[in-house]
Amino acid sequence: MADTADDIRKSVRSYLLVGAVLFIGTAVTVLVATVPWLDVGRHGFDVWDAVLGLAIAATKATLVAAVFMHLNHEKKGVYWIFASGLVFVIALFGLVGLAKFDPIHDPFFNDGPPAPSVLENSASGG
Amino acid sequence: MEIPYVVNPRKDTGLFNSKIAIWLFLASEVMLFGGLFSGYVFLRLGADYPWPERTLPVLPGLINTFVLIASSVTVVFAWASLKLRKWGAFKLYMGVTVGCAALFMVLKGIEYNVKFHHQALRLDDYTVIEGHLAYEKENGTYVVDHHGNKIEGNRIRVETSGLTFNSVRFHKSWVEDLLAQAAHRNTRITLATDLAGATTEGGPVEVLAKAGEPLSVELLERVQAAHLAARAHNAALRTADLRAKWADAKAANPGKRDWEFASDVNIDTAALAPKLLTEHSSVAFKVEPPVRFEFRPRDIREAATQSRLRDDTVVDGTLLASPMVFHHVDAIDFRHLAMKAVEKGQDPMKAIEDSWLIRNHAFAREAWQWHQGEVAKLEQQLTDDYGIDPQTGKPRREPTAKERYRIGWKEFALKAEQAGGVSLGFADKIKEEFMGPNYAARGEETFPHLEVPRDEIRFAAKFTPAWNTYYAIYFTITGLHGLHVIGGALVLAYYLFFCRRLYETNPEWLANRVEVAGLFWHFVDLVWIFAFPIFYLM
Repeated sequence: MADTADDIRKSVRSYLLVGAVLFIGTAVTVLVATVPWLDVGRHGFDVWDAVLGLAIAATKATLVAAVFMHLNHEKKGVYWIFASGLVFVIALFGLVGLAKFDPIHDPFFNDGPPAPSVLENSASGG
Repeated sequence: MEIPYVVNPRKDTGLFNSKIAIWLFLASEVMLFGGLFSGYVFLRLGADYPWPERTLPVLPGLINTFVLIASSVTVVFAWASLKLRKWGAFKLYMGVTVGCAALFMVLKGIEYNVKFHHQALRLDDYTVIEGHLAYEKENGTYVVDHHGNKIEGNRIRVETSGLTFNSVRFHKSWVEDLLAQAAHRNTRITLATDLAGATTEGGPVEVLAKAGEPLSVELLERVQAAHLAARAHNAALRTADLRAKWADAKAANPGKRDWEFASDVNIDTAALAPKLLTEHSSVAFKVEPPVRFEFRPRDIREAATQSRLRDDTVVDGTLLASPMVFHHVDAIDFRHLAMKAVEKGQDPMKAIEDSWLIRNHAFAREAWQWHQGEVAKLEQQLTDDYGIDPQTGKPRREPTAKERYRIGWKEFALKAEQAGGVSLGFADKIKEEFMGPNYAARGEETFPHLEVPRDEIRFAAKFTPAWNTYYAIYFTITGLHGLHVIGGALVLAYYLFFCRRLYETNPEWLANRVEVAGLFWHFVDLVWIFAFPIFYLM
């Protein structure tokens, strides 16, 4: 689309708009992380701060990819190449999940040994 | 050779070739950085220490983010200007882009440099102390090494009476350093005994160096040459002898396998002895009078009476007290200690009261008490603002572990300001955000002096990848990202400065090149969009 001079003149507006959104998005990321009354979830950093921060980052990244990198109107070949890279990234994050995944729930291993008092009771009882 | 399809698209893909190429490259880059970010997640989930969340100064990171976003916008405009055949506008936009890249790297360089000079220390009881080390001083002047550099107050000190060098492995620069220390302390390092021996086969005993000869690299090199020559000579003799013995044994034992008579094949040491040259694998020197020598902790394995350097030099002498000297402590962090206490089922507050630092240093006790007052104020404020959860009866919001257990440099500064001490102006405070605390201006009443005995040290490092996995992955990802910024900026600068002729002959080709480099530049921006919140805000 952005091939003829006219198209480019039209897209300049959207480039400026995206640039502004990126600046605002960055400011918002910092504000929600530093201003106490904008803090989501518990006080200080917790999983909801991570979700919110990464959601803003993902939105910004999508805008850059779609508008600046013209992924909103590319040829099919580019999508195939890019998607094949993304598949491996998702697989890599999946590997991290595998390292943490454990289908057997055993309180002795997963939550550490039982409290000392429990051990003492069973010892005296047996 | 003409490169096909750089201006017009290929029929089958609908794209010019370099675009396919850059997207293939970007796909591999996505996997590279994706793998590193998943590595970050892995390290953070598996960390066995309190993850240093929100530990980097936000302001430099924020400015760098703005700089990179701005450059991403201008690179698009540079491309659009080429498409519209406006060379002047292209030059302007591309110039701003390259300038932004340079600014980004300068800020990054400052950030790295501050970390490389900032000392971290984990005590045996897992208290973490951060700050700046002192430089060694004697009689009011700085001690310098043989390069003329000031020496940091983090040395192992040995009252040295003797030095024995490994004549093959000795490290020249350390020998020079020892000589400089000897000159500084008015002592002499001299050869302990005559170095004598045969230097020719069957020849007379010759004196290679006389006792009392002063230590020098040249002397050690002379001994090294003699030693290596003798060793090679002797090895050749032994090999030749062994070969002859094997030949004899094989002739004497026809039809037998080698292993059946191998135990009888031996070098005739007695017969060889007169032909062998004297090897000097080590050279002993005495230090008279014995003085204090200082060594970097990583270079020495110290012990009470005899220590050893990494180059196999044996240092004879008594180990002296070798404290690590902080000029300025700018943070005390009990998070790790508290975590260890909870793991052991102990009360973290009790464990902190019992820690070495609190027991031994009044300033730490005072700071900790002041800090608890601040935490109580924060708790009260959070309860006032957000109330109590009626179901659990606990406040809805409570201070974080970092707020409870860490006294950072800003707290130290606030404490001193409250006590009527130094208070800096706005511009100086902004400068501190980039360069770290201003020790010179705030002085010792803000950031106290501290000596830590060597016995109390569990681990010490500058804020480098060595300190913990957080800094390891931080430097890996931001360092690799920085290299991408440099590489991208070089390509963009090439289009800016060296492509005027291409613009005049084939402007569409140049536009396509800029588009492709721009795609890479946007990707670099994209990585930072994730790196900034992850490293600075989470």
